[in-house]
Amino acid sequence: MKKLNFSFSTKLTFDNYVHDHSIALRCIPPETETQHILSCYLEISPMVPTEQTTDAFGNLVTSGYLKNDHRFLDFEVSGCAEIDCGKLRRDFMPCYRYQSPLTKPGDQIRAFYESIKGECTATSPEERAAFFSEKLFGRMSYVRDSTTIRTTAEEAFSQHKGVCQDYTHIFLSLLRMDGIPCRYIAGLSSCDGETHSWAEYWTEDGWRGIDPTNNCPTTDYYLVLSQGRDYSDCAIDRGVMLGAYTRQMQLIASNLSGETY
Amino acid sequence: MKSEIKTENLDLEVPIANVDEINELLRRYGVKFGIYKNGVFKEQLFPFDPIPRIITAQEFAAIEKGLIQRVDALNMFIYDIYHDKKIIADNVVPEDFVYISSGYLPQCEGVTPPKNIYSHISGIDLVLGKDGEWYILEDNLRIPSGASYPLIARELTRVASPKAFTDNPIVDNRNYAQLLRDTMDNVNCGGINAILTPGRYNAAYFEHSYLAELSGAALVSNDELFVENNVLYHKTYSGGRTKIGALYRRISDEYLDPLTFEAKSLIGIPNLMEAYRAGNVAIINAPGNGVADDKGIYYFVPKMIKYYLGEEPILKNAPTYLPFYEEDRKYVLENIGKLVIKDVAEAGGYGVVFGSDLSAEKLEEFRQTIIREPRRFIAQEVIDFCDLPIFEGNEKVMRKADLRAFVLSGEKTRVWASGLTRFSRNPDSFVVNSSQGGGFKDTWVLSR
Repeated sequence: MKKLNFSFSTKLTFDNYVHDHSIALRCIPPETETQHILSCYLEISPMVPTEQTTDAFGNLVTSGYLKNDHRFLDFEVSGCAEIDCGKLRRDFMPCYRYQSPLTKPGDQIRAFYESIKGECTATSPEERAAFFSEKLFGRMSYVRDSTTIRTTAEEAFSQHKGVCQDYTHIFLSLLRMDGIPCRYIAGLSSCDGETHSWAEYWTEDGWRGIDPTNNCPTTDYYLVLSQGRDYSDCAIDRGVMLGAYTRQMQLIASNLSGETY
Repeated sequence: MKSEIKTENLDLEVPIANVDEINELLRRYGVKFGIYKNGVFKEQLFPFDPIPRIITAQEFAAIEKGLIQRVDALNMFIYDIYHDKKIIADNVVPEDFVYISSGYLPQCEGVTPPKNIYSHISGIDLVLGKDGEWYILEDNLRIPSGASYPLIARELTRVASPKAFTDNPIVDNRNYAQLLRDTMDNVNCGGINAILTPGRYNAAYFEHSYLAELSGAALVSNDELFVENNVLYHKTYSGGRTKIGALYRRISDEYLDPLTFEAKSLIGIPNLMEAYRAGNVAIINAPGNGVADDKGIYYFVPKMIKYYLGEEPILKNAPTYLPFYEEDRKYVLENIGKLVIKDVAEAGGYGVVFGSDLSAEKLEEFRQTIIREPRRFIAQEVIDFCDLPIFEGNEKVMRKADLRAFVLSGEKTRVWASGLTRFSRNPDSFVVNSSQGGGFKDTWVLSR
């Protein structure tokens, strides 16, 4: 078990005024079997009244509406959590068995899957997941800015490079083809001051985490912020606004520090 | 000029005078619809034929009972799918058909609409077989359109030939407005009723504005709406705000809320789903209904009626086969030449292939596709359905026609005593969808 101090912030700046700005944040870590939230603070500037709901995937959604003109939107979530990945979550949804918009395989991923699936004779989800993670890790290169948030698994795989989001999508695509239910996790880990993403796959006992970008099982050093079928269900901040701005700039910072006991 | 139409011993005076004038008025009212042909959007008129379809009181009573039963079961099914999933656990509907359906939205899992009603306005397509039996062709539970066409056509016909309506025992269909209002009021969470339109350039804009005017709901577009503190508001002209308690939206699920569904949607309302989840607004029809009007799920509707209501289905499905089941697949592969094959992912008459139209080579190709992707298709016997008379110039000819019945689920489930009769203008075609160039008629339900 580990006690982690976490913080995550984004600063969104526009080069002109915007208004009628609606936001939906999925940045508050949920209280689950594996993580106990000791404290959590969310600050949003400019001040905006917010509401909280829980979405279908179990994410805490903070929604708000800024009617008046503004040129920036900052938020920071911080707190302290106890993580114990020895315990397992069991919040299953049938949709995790099926491909989703961003994981849907095309010819390339399908061919890759067909060419490697026979190499692994193990039948347990644990071993198969580790096998596909290993194979994928050997095939992909981590290249920053090589993809966008809308890149599909097939697109990223075709260019053999991507970031953690892409690794996770391709991994989910392979596992779902293999008949293993799995889901996308957005959260914080050791990840150069940004958010990280990884996968969970379903076993008889519950969900187990695996980090395809680093080709390793997850540890107590992984804090879950949101989960879903793929990135589109998990986006930590989504927003829609009106205005004559032509550019927006987003600065992201995250920090995770902890002690084992 | 008046015409005598004989329908089962009933001699009715039918107005056919001024049909060009009525069509001209319809054109001026903007009674049109849009279609995509080869990737190009084209708006076209929806030609009106003056000879009404006539349904006797006795016949309507039977259809009515069957439709109420069917829509009640469909509503229970959608609730079940997004909550307990008992029908899957009890092996009545295989889970693949549910979760692979593009209309199934996991974002709606666990969300309960006011009074558990998902399909408030259902458009059920039926045909009358030559055996005298009505068959269900499709259940449209997302945003079925078309009620305004018989409404306005009746209105104009009444002006042109008032005598037809005083001399004949025709059930007045003007109560659609009241039915619609009752349906919205029943689930209204506090606030006004509003009809959300994607705007003036939408092909069904006439219908949106006409229904708003008749039902007293505000006609709104997304730039006049916002969600604050999980409440949906309409911006008033004076800078104020009015709470909306029921939103009859005429845009599809994927564009409804860019913060939950398609992020690129410019016609949606950000955080509408949060307001809906919080129970502060009813969305009509509820998002996620597509799971029940999927062509693959259609096969299971008679089973749903038995499962949820413990009743025998009153209205029949067209005989349907699912290649997913081995026995059905065998039958389909052997008899493909006489069947109609439908791609479950397509709508509006697209992806419908009649085996009899295909060459031997094409048939073999199709067989291979079915073997490869059995879940993608359903196959149906071609129903030889009744022709109705239409005017082609001054000549009366017989054409295939179907009926879209409107079922409104409010405090009670009610069937509107009218409906949209669509016909094919092509004498060789069974496809009556307006997107395939058909026309429409009024539907007269008689009071005796």
